[in-house]
Formats: sequence, C-alpha cells, structure tokens
Amino acid sequence: MRAALAGSLLAVLAGLGLSGCAGNSLSRSDTTASPVEPRCSRGDEGAAANGVILMAQSVPTASWVPCLRGALPPGWDFGGLKARDGIAQFSLTSGTDQEQVIQVRLQPSCDTRGSTEIHSDRDGMQRFERVTQTTPGFVGRRYYVFEGGCITFGFTLGPDNRGEPLALAGQVVGAVTRADLSEQVHDESDGRLSLDPVGNG
Amino acid sequence: MASLPQAPPEVGPARRPGPPAVQQVRRRRRPSGEAPPLPHHLNASGKWWLGLSGLVVVAWAVVIATRTVSVFDVVDTRVLQAIAGVRTPWLTRVAEVAGLPATPWALQFLWLANVVVLVVVRRWRHLFVWVGVFLAVALLGGSMAGALQRPRPYGVEILGPWAGFSMPSLPMLLLSAFLVSTVYSLVPAGRSRTIGKWAIGVLIVLAGLSRLYLAQDHPTDVLAGVVLGVTFALAAFRLLAPNDVFPVRYSRGRTAHLDVTGARGEAIIRALHDQLGLIANEVKPFGLAGSGGSTPLRIAVKGDPDTYVFGKLYAATHVRSDRSYKLVRTLLYGRLEDEKPYHSVRRLVQYEDYVLRLMSDAGLPVAHPLGIVEITPEREYLLVTEFFDGAREVGDAEIDDAVIDQGLSVVRRMWDVGVAHRDIKPANLLVRDGTLFLIDTAFAEVRPSPWRQAVDLANMMLVLGLRTDAARVYSRARRQFSDEEIAEAFAATRGLTMPSQLRHMLRQQGRDLHGDFLELLPYRLPPIRIQRWTWRRAGLTVATLSGLLIVVLLIVQNVLGPPL
Repeated sequence: MRAALAGSLLAVLAGLGLSGCAGNSLSRSDTTASPVEPRCSRGDEGAAANGVILMAQSVPTASWVPCLRGALPPGWDFGGLKARDGIAQFSLTSGTDQEQVIQVRLQPSCDTRGSTEIHSDRDGMQRFERVTQTTPGFVGRRYYVFEGGCITFGFTLGPDNRGEPLALAGQVVGAVTRADLSEQVHDESDGRLSLDPVGNG
Repeated sequence: MASLPQAPPEVGPARRPGPPAVQQVRRRRRPSGEAPPLPHHLNASGKWWLGLSGLVVVAWAVVIATRTVSVFDVVDTRVLQAIAGVRTPWLTRVAEVAGLPATPWALQFLWLANVVVLVVVRRWRHLFVWVGVFLAVALLGGSMAGALQRPRPYGVEILGPWAGFSMPSLPMLLLSAFLVSTVYSLVPAGRSRTIGKWAIGVLIVLAGLSRLYLAQDHPTDVLAGVVLGVTFALAAFRLLAPNDVFPVRYSRGRTAHLDVTGARGEAIIRALHDQLGLIANEVKPFGLAGSGGSTPLRIAVKGDPDTYVFGKLYAATHVRSDRSYKLVRTLLYGRLEDEKPYHSVRRLVQYEDYVLRLMSDAGLPVAHPLGIVEITPEREYLLVTEFFDGAREVGDAEIDDAVIDQGLSVVRRMWDVGVAHRDIKPANLLVRDGTLFLIDTAFAEVRPSPWRQAVDLANMMLVLGLRTDAARVYSRARRQFSDEEIAEAFAATRGLTMPSQLRHMLRQQGRDLHGDFLELLPYRLPPIRIQRWTWRRAGLTVATLSGLLIVVLLIVQNVLGPPL
C-alpha cells in the first residue's frame, strides 16, 4: 500500500514537474527563441540573416532593423533572438554569471520621457540616454528613435569594466534599412515577392 | 546466530495432485519467415502518418539542398494572397474565433486540463506518454523552426499574433499533438473515439484555415505542423500505451490486463495448438481482481472429459511494472532480498516456469506446468499450467487439521529443498476436496535467506489461523517445527513482510492473530531488522530525492507562472 502510494506520489510529482518544464515551452518566449545570431550580412552576397527579416516583420512600420555587424568579441555570447508581432529583441551577455547584459529591442515606439537627447552617432536616428543606476553596477537605457520604430539598448553592467560593453553596443550592433531588406527579399525571389504587403509603401 | 535445533517432521510430505487429463495433438514448428501468432505492428493509419512525416522531412532536406525555398515561398504567398483577397471584417472575426484553440492560453488550458483529469483517474501510463509527447513535439518543433529559420509570410498583412520562425507552425504542431493525445488518453476506444477523431479533425482544419486567413503561417508550415503533431502523438500512444494493454475506461478495475478478445484471443488459441498441442476453444479472463502483474486466463481445452488449463499472459508492460515496483520497494525497504528487476518478458516467464517445475519436481502441491507459449516474440508470452477447477481460496474454505498440516508441510518441504514462495497469502492457497494447493510462484526464490524462509512459515500460520485459531495452528505446527523455528518465524514477520491481502484480512477480522501466536510462544526472539541500507539504496534514494527536488523547482518556476 505504501509502495503504491509512494509510486502514485512520484508519478504525480514527475508528471507535474515535466508538465512544468514542458508547460513553459508553450510560452512563446522559449520554444520560439532562436539561438542563431541576426547578422547584418552573411555569405558572399552580403544578405542579412533571416532573423533580421523576422525582426522587420515584427515591426512592419520600422524603417531600421537592428542586427549584428560581425562576430562577437571573446567573452561575449549571443543570448538568443525572440521575435513576435509588435516586438523583437536579442541579448548579448558576458561573464560566467552574465554580469554584463546588453539587451537590444525593436519596437514601434519608445517612451523616452525622463531621458536626455544627445548627439546621435547613427544617421536618420535620434539618440536618447537614461541612466537609472551607476553604483555598484550600471543600469541604463539608450534609445534610437526613427521613422516607424525605436531601438532600445538596455544595459545591465557589473561594477568592473563597464566601458567595454558600452563601446560594444556601438561597434557590434548595427542596423539595416527596411528598404535594403525589401530589396533582398525581392532579389532572392527573382522579383516575385516583397517583404511587405503590396501597397504598403 | 547459532543454528537452531530442528524438530523432526512428524507429518509426511504434501500430497501431490495428479496431472490434468488434457488432450494433446501433434505440435507444429513455425517455419522461418512465418509471422508469429500475434505480430506487433502499428495500425494502417499510423503507418500512413509516419510516411507523411518522412515525406515532410525529406522535402525539407531537398529544399535546403537544392536552395529552392523561394519556390515554396512564392507558391505559399500566392495562396495566402488569394485568401487575403476575400478578407472581410466579419470573416476576420470568425477566423479569430476559429483560431482560438491554437493560442498559447488555449493550449496551456488543454494541457493542464488533461494533466488534472489523468491524475484524478490515476491513468499514469497515459499521463507519462502525454508528457513525453509534449516534450518531444515542443523540443523538436522549436529546434526545427530554429534550424530552418523561415520568416513569416511575405507580401501579405499578418492579422493575428505570431512568434518566432514559421516552419513548422508550432501552434498547429502543438494543437494537433495535444488533441490527438487527448483523444487517445481520455476517450474510450470504439465509437466514442471515432467521433472524437472527427471532432478534433474539424478543430484542426478550422484552426489551420484560420491561421492561413490571418496569414500567421504559410500553408506548408501548417501542413508540416499538423503532420508531425498527429504522427508523434499517434505513434507514441499506439506504441507506448496501446489500447489493448491500457484501455481507456471509466469503470472500476485494474487496467494492466490485456484484452484477450479479438485478434489476441484467436492468436492464443492458435499458439496453444501449434506450440503445446492443446485444442482450446475458449479463452476467458479469470480472477483479475487478485492479479496485477499478469493477465490470468481460464482456457477451456479438449480432454477426457473437456477441462480447463490456467494461463498467465505476460506482456512487456508487466516487466516495466515489475521494474517500477521493485525500485519503489528498494527505496522504501532496502534490500529485503533479491529485488533485481527482469529485463525482458521472456526472462520473467522463463523464471516462473523454472520455479514452478522445481517445486513440482520437489513434490510440492503446485499446478502442473504445461509449458510456455509465444504470442508475440519478446513482447507477449503465456505460461500454461493446470487449472484447479472448483478450488476455493483458503480464506473461504473449510479448514480442518489435515489442511493445516498440509499447509505447514508445504513450508517444511520448501525449507528442505531450499526455496521460498515469498507470497504466502489467502489468494495463493487453494483448497479442493480437502487438498491444499499452492499457486502463483512468480515471486519464489531459490536458496533464499533464512529470514525469508522464516517469513514463509509465519505467513502460512497466520493464513491458516484466519479460519481457525492461533492455538490450533500452533499445536499442529509444533508437530513439524520446533519452538525455536516458530519463534524465529514470528520475530521475522511483522507489518510489511506480510502480503497486503493477509494484513487486510487480519484487520477486517479485528483479531490480533499475530499477537495471539506471540502469546503462545514459550519465549520470544528479538525482532529481526528488516530495513537494510546498501550503497545502491543510498544512491537510488539520493538520485530520486534530487529528481524530486528538480521537479518541485520546475513546478514552481513553470507551472505556477502565467504563460508569456
């Protein structure tokens, strides 16, 4: 009897546990995440990765789409790409406990209230900065606002060597125009397909 | 411990029943290449879905290798654009409703509802297969989508929510797998399940059409998702929880028994004829309530006159149950004796047949073994023995001194030949015309520990005392066993060393029969410790507890939180 009871208990717990494990896979952020880096250009033709196109589809109004210009420097890892209707994001992490995290997010718009506009280092984009915390670690956001969209860099950095991640965000994370992506889709399908619905400008 | 003096036996060996008068005909050897009596196979629809899944995978490989994905993109886009051409506000609302089953919240609800129902009805096998299907399709679908990296449809406005890459369609993959799993784990086979299959077919088609109308997926994404989802669930349930072994039903009764009607019943009759030369004309389940480890059968055979034989049908599932049972026993009680599991159903049946023949050769009143019959190679075997027609359980029969002596001499004889039955309980002691028979030797052991031999004696005395009294059984026992041996038996036996049926009957009678025997003993020996710790038990306990801890953490982290 006790054995049967214990067996039943184990079965329930295991079932629920596995259900939990699997249940989370229903959450769209997990099963649908991609571990492949969204490179701005790849191969001989220099075409953007499909992950970049997927991000463009997330925010159909965005005239710019973030991407990675090249390989990440040693010590940095790609944290996965999650794209869904209305929002797309990927992250870069560093350190064994992910002490340094840069999150890059594309949305139709951003709430830049409380941030300060500074000179932009990217053409066609306005840049805003907001620092939430400086000690012991650095927490802040950088916004690039452009026509039809906004790219947000979220920084969560440890107390050491915070300059490197801030520089990395500017060097490694780039952006491609929607027009370039449309042209890519058009060319790859021999002119038969377009990224956006015909008539959407 | 010093060896105990043994009382000289005053009663002769147990009487041996005569062999059954069954008619046997010439046996037939199955030639090479001929199918076994009951071949193991998937149903035709399962093969069809497996073929379709293979086609999907091959198509992916060809498209990637030949770089022709744009061809599919163009065809899919044209279909979606044509559908988008008929969009109207009311049709869009209809499509949104039709697509609800494939939304994350609906899928989460479907999943949790199934888990709750399966736990409530204690259908563990189906629950585990469900979980396995879920994990497999979620992981496989996510990995494939990540590997294929197909963007969402081009050139058409996407109206509904979506997430991640589109091939295969994860919502359709999960919905198909979940609905098929639901039907196979909750709906009884037959007309109800057939209706259920049509119903989920309609749901899947409507959800798929909705996703195409809203341009959330390409047509080929939906197709691939449905094919893979249905195939996975179908194959898993048909292979791991086949209906004839684990039928879905809501009436009371054990579910580990095999259905012996239809093809299996015919296969048993054919196999008995070919392999044992027995002409059977009826196979019926018998005494299912007292058996959990096999499917007991009463088989009517030709004889002089016509008679019955007894069959124990073992399947691979019984071996798995035996494995789980022994693991739990090891965790709870340690190494009481040999708790090593069997690794195949063939070994299990061979062992029981061997022990039965050993006991039969030793003159013990067990059923005459008639042989082993192969139903499905490595999956199902039938152990055939004599059937004690008209016998009654010792708990229901008239018990006189002769029956008590026979029961005690059975234990004495087992001690002499070096075997232990290990499951002495009322259901395993039958009485017919004043003769006692010992059945179910599945747990018997050759060269058991002295402790286990002592337990057999105490359990036999307790069983015999159920319909009589302790003083009478004790006085008869002293004719075959010394006081020291009886004292050792009751020092070894308490609580879990008694079969649950015996404990239950003792409780029902409201008598402290065990205490009565202890009172009769001229002296008592200290109780023998039954909890034995070994490195294996310690390791298994640590592993199990660690697993449980992980499971609890997973529950807290995943199930309790809302889906994103």
